[in-house]
Amino acid sequence: MSEHRIEVTINGQAHRATVEGRLVLGDFLRIDAGYTGVHLGCEHGVCGACTVIVDGCAVRACLMLAVQADGCEITTVEGLAAPDGTLHPAQQALRDEHGLQCGFCTPGVVMTLAALTGDDKRPSADTLLAALSGHICRCTGYQGIRRAARRLAGAPAGEEPA
Amino acid sequence: MKPAPFDYIAPETIDEVCERLAEAGGGATVLAGGQTLMPLLALRMSQPFILVDINRIAALKGAARADGGTRIGPVMRQNEVIADPTLANALPLLLTATRHVGHHQTRNRGTIGGSIALGEPAAELPAAAVALGASVEARSTRGVRRIAAEALYFGPYATALEPDELVTAIHFPDWPPDTINLFREVARRPGDFALVGLIGALTVEQGRIARAGLAWFGMGPTPIKARQAEAALLGQSIAGLDARGIAELAIADTAPFDDHHATADYRRTVGRRIFARALQEALDARQAA
Amino acid sequence: MTAPQIGAARFIGQRVPRKEDGRLLTGRGTFVDDIVLPGMLHVAFVRSPIARGRIALIDTSVARDMPGVHAILTAKDLSRFKIDMLTFYLTLPGIEIPPLATDRVAYVGDPVVMVIAQDRYLAEDAAGLVAIDYEEEDPVVTIDDAKTGPLVHPGSESNAAAVLGVEEDEDLEALLASAPHLVTGTITHQRVSQSPMETRGVVVDQQGDEELTVYIACQSPHLVARYLSQAFGMPNISIRVLAKDVGGSFGLKVQPWREEMAVIAAGMILRRPLKWTEDRLENLTAANQAREQEITLRIAFDADGKLLASHADYDLNNGAYPHGPDCNIAVQMFMWAAYKMPAFGFYTKGWYTNTVGLAAYRGPWAMESLARETMLDIAARQIGVDPIEIRRRNLITKADQPCTTSLGIQLEDITPAECLDKLLETLDVPAFRAEQAAARKQGRYLGLGIATYIEPTASTGSIGVMSGELAQIRIEPTGKVTATLSTHSQGHGTQTTMAQVIADQLGVPYEDVSVFEGDSSRGGFGPGAAGSRQGVAGGGASMKAAKLLLDKVKRVAAHLLNANPDDVRLENGVVYVAGAEEMTRSLREIAEVAYGEPDRLPPDIQAGLETQYRYTPPPVTFTSAANACIVEIDAETGFVAIKRWISSEDCGVVINPAVVEGQIAGGLAQAIGSVLLEEVSFDARGNPTAVTYKDYMLPAISDVPDFEHVHASTPSKSEGGFRGVGEGGCIIGPPTLVNAIADALSPFGARCLDLPLTPSKILELIEGRTILRKASGHGAGPQAAAVDRPTAVTASEPDATPIGEAAEPQAAPPLEPAPATAVDGLWKMVLSTPMGPQAMKGRFATNGQILTGTLYSDMGDQDFEGIVAGATLKWDLKVEKPVSLTLKYDVQIEGDKLSGKVKMGFFGNAKLTGERL
Repeated sequence: MSEHRIEVTINGQAHRATVEGRLVLGDFLRIDAGYTGVHLGCEHGVCGACTVIVDGCAVRACLMLAVQADGCEITTVEGLAAPDGTLHPAQQALRDEHGLQCGFCTPGVVMTLAALTGDDKRPSADTLLAALSGHICRCTGYQGIRRAARRLAGAPAGEEPA
Repeated sequence: MKPAPFDYIAPETIDEVCERLAEAGGGATVLAGGQTLMPLLALRMSQPFILVDINRIAALKGAARADGGTRIGPVMRQNEVIADPTLANALPLLLTATRHVGHHQTRNRGTIGGSIALGEPAAELPAAAVALGASVEARSTRGVRRIAAEALYFGPYATALEPDELVTAIHFPDWPPDTINLFREVARRPGDFALVGLIGALTVEQGRIARAGLAWFGMGPTPIKARQAEAALLGQSIAGLDARGIAELAIADTAPFDDHHATADYRRTVGRRIFARALQEALDARQAA
Repeated sequence: MTAPQIGAARFIGQRVPRKEDGRLLTGRGTFVDDIVLPGMLHVAFVRSPIARGRIALIDTSVARDMPGVHAILTAKDLSRFKIDMLTFYLTLPGIEIPPLATDRVAYVGDPVVMVIAQDRYLAEDAAGLVAIDYEEEDPVVTIDDAKTGPLVHPGSESNAAAVLGVEEDEDLEALLASAPHLVTGTITHQRVSQSPMETRGVVVDQQGDEELTVYIACQSPHLVARYLSQAFGMPNISIRVLAKDVGGSFGLKVQPWREEMAVIAAGMILRRPLKWTEDRLENLTAANQAREQEITLRIAFDADGKLLASHADYDLNNGAYPHGPDCNIAVQMFMWAAYKMPAFGFYTKGWYTNTVGLAAYRGPWAMESLARETMLDIAARQIGVDPIEIRRRNLITKADQPCTTSLGIQLEDITPAECLDKLLETLDVPAFRAEQAAARKQGRYLGLGIATYIEPTASTGSIGVMSGELAQIRIEPTGKVTATLSTHSQGHGTQTTMAQVIADQLGVPYEDVSVFEGDSSRGGFGPGAAGSRQGVAGGGASMKAAKLLLDKVKRVAAHLLNANPDDVRLENGVVYVAGAEEMTRSLREIAEVAYGEPDRLPPDIQAGLETQYRYTPPPVTFTSAANACIVEIDAETGFVAIKRWISSEDCGVVINPAVVEGQIAGGLAQAIGSVLLEEVSFDARGNPTAVTYKDYMLPAISDVPDFEHVHASTPSKSEGGFRGVGEGGCIIGPPTLVNAIADALSPFGARCLDLPLTPSKILELIEGRTILRKASGHGAGPQAAAVDRPTAVTASEPDATPIGEAAEPQAAPPLEPAPATAVDGLWKMVLSTPMGPQAMKGRFATNGQILTGTLYSDMGDQDFEGIVAGATLKWDLKVEKPVSLTLKYDVQIEGDKLSGKVKMGFFGNAKLTGERL
């Protein structure tokens, strides 16, 4: 059982920690770093609730080891809103469209939408909806999530250039 | 669902990986993208003593032209494959297959080499490797060898790779521009493993099929090369090809089974249909063009 | 009835943003796994790998020695508490339910040992080191196993957990037998997992001998506190239960169950805070599940398609340790509640098996709607009436009410017929039929499904724990409003909807109202979310309490301002006196006096601005709905694409349309899961076969269409005019979708009554087993397949008339006669042998007069050949065990039933009965 020194930047803040080799990134973010907005819904990569942004890409925090994040920049759902509390457009769209009920899957959905619309990217609705197929929501029937995705998209669903 | 203890190492070089694998004597597992391995670890279905992370080795990344084909580093992420213009040009069928692997979020981590080396029988990429005639370069302290993809798979997650071997590249041969690409996947939801999957490439020269690579996924314990159909197609004129007859031959090589998601009968029936339809539609499209 | 006037409602009826969303969107919710306490240890369970057997030996010594392990507990260690596991109704269940297995295990996943360690990783490591020897016994897995197998709970009389009704009612049988039309079918619903995205979890923290604090994922902290108090029988400890955010429940977390109780007991033994968070593997294998049931429904009609009589024979798998032994009497109660049904009888049974126990799942009685609505469509085809018309002829309308159903349910204001009318304003059925007919010519299969139902919501009073709800509201000295409610949200958004009601009634800004719930030490008892009740009971309580408070504000303000209370009004947080603009005061000014200067108040009035009201709504408030769905089936692959779905529902006064539609949509998505995707299944040894989300398939965004909503909004008799809406989508969704699929498949004469309708099953329905069994088929499209279908014999289902076609037969003429006395397919049978009843299944295939088939039983699988003559089947079968014999089968098929005899050599004749699967 090995232990490793890692340095990770989480939501702009440098963290230094010693972690066991087997510690899953999701557990590290929740327990060691205190970002409990990272929700573990299945721990085997299907439900998407634990999705975070690692070096610009939306990934499952349950499918990475903490030690693998050494040197990475990570954004969790806690790190999206502006310091004055202004919600990120992905958060605002979900709020406006009633895209959540119990809120457990929500952080993952937010992070996928945020990753794909970051740097002012405007992917098509089809692209966003395809990416959202990697998230399970048991409450909403996806109605508000889909409306939020369409609102964030650059082109309506079905009209993406081939 | 927490992984059992292991020693984690992340070597910087291929040689070091090979040395560590050799020392471990079968007790080590290689971690590439981890999108299949991590669930197995969490479920404690995989409990290695040593986990060898190859994600930090630059030499295992990226794609390049080599040996009259394309050499792809095993740690190339699936979303990198999809976005790579060189690969789009040389291996459009591989890109199509890769778009069907998992979800956007898993493709950001998942690698082409990890998928091919693992050998999930219902996954897209092992079948793509078989259909396109790829081979894997396997290195150990004992040396380097190349294994043809069609000789790689023995059963679910069982491959010809020795425990001390690391996949250091996947070689895809070029397919001429005049190649008909076939891809069909029947899966219950986007990102699920296939109930039935078909991938194939047919090169046309002077109106006849000069080269054929066809493989099934989700149709048996391994990706399955449709040898009888390939043999029947070679040399055939594409005008008036009997798509249904070829589909029948293609199905004859499969060995599907009943599981939680579909019956073997279902897989055979639907496989026969999607094969015939995919082939017929491709021929019709070519005719129209 | 006291529905708010539309003109006065400023917040009721509005899609206001939810108060919950700010914290949930930014990762600042508080779910149970987010709770961290100093010194907290973590629990992992060692669970049984076998479905049934005796525990021979438990060796924890190696695990106990592992560094980081604090304790390892077994049932023996917990025995210092006498823990009475209770049903949802807080009654004793009649069987012994130990939190940890004592000497026997009863299902795969049965918790046997608890490991308590520094963290969850270490706890799981040590769990792997606990050695347990079992003496395995053959398990009782299915309902059929339960009827004939050994006792699941040794010492009990039988495996019947609960039985109600009459097996054979001669009068009813006579009615059924003499009716012009008798329609019979058996509907099978698979077992499903509630699968809230947040699994179960608990943190226990005992402080001294006096205080016990429990954080738990639940549906009502008040109910949990009451449950714990009663189950542990500890009058001298104060119990506080907290649950701020809960990630869905859907019936699963309605009461603490074995693992939670074991963890709470362990926390009291060890005097350390403990946490257990169920992982998904545990959730899919060891958390109670739902819905594994089957029903045979017989319905008699007169010549005009009017209902005459019906009988339902119902079985429900309870598993080993249900949340209460259950034969689901509500299925029978509400089977025909919305229809004019002169005579109805039932026989309803629940069975113990060696599987994980039964829990509620959103609309636990939903099988009535599935069975009734799918059979009504089949009846419509059989009788030759339009399925919409058959509902119109039989639904109870406004003109029929008030009335009392044959099972004693009083109806005053149900509106399913009106919902159907509104639905059909949105849906152009003739246009769809034309599209359907044109599509069929191209080999595309479209289908339209319609279903209607009523749902009993906010049931109160009849069941002990189902009390009213309490609202405590106060206007703070700041002028802001604080409400403490007994309601509880697991996604329901009651902080939002209750604030809307309160703001509306008081006349204050929505933003000024804060709603608190989720703490058993605040407010008062309420059962929380259970039975679509919070809008009605909680909304009514909020309404009443706000009215009382408003009265007090008026009296205080009138006294201070020297005005008549009737001239005082509160609007947008400002107190006005009619005709005296100079008297306008902020609510804060009035509140400051009310709290700080009691001398200035009227002499008979208490200081402060606080009130509470416990509202008990009428015993039942009915919600009605009609839904329609259009599907297209890919006949090559058996995949179903949902093209359109319209929900027309009447949930009374709508507090927040976005929340209401969210509840409906969530339920409909779960319905889609049940019909197409989700399935908990077991192998013959009782091992679960779908233990991850790769195999237990929940609907994804791509599986769920955009739902269209129509609201009828007939105010109910309850305070505020609200009706419940939490469960409805999950009840009406399945028959709507199944009917659409059956309509699409009507050219093939298929009955779709065995959920889930997987692509494999749909292809079998389209083509029949025989096609798929051919050694070398061909790439047959659906047309070719239909031609190949065995042409069997006499017709009991004259044709597949899709919805709407009877009215306009020329619009889409029947493509081909449906086959006949449908013999082909899978049947289940019970043979009454001298050694006891033997359950088996048979697969029959006919080709002209030739019968081929396979019998599947414990003795193995046997193929046979025989003959078909009309509805009679005959075949011989040789068996070697227990002695060498030739069994001569002589069987008559009647609809979906079969009966007959088997001549067993010198053993004589044995009775055979069976039904189609």
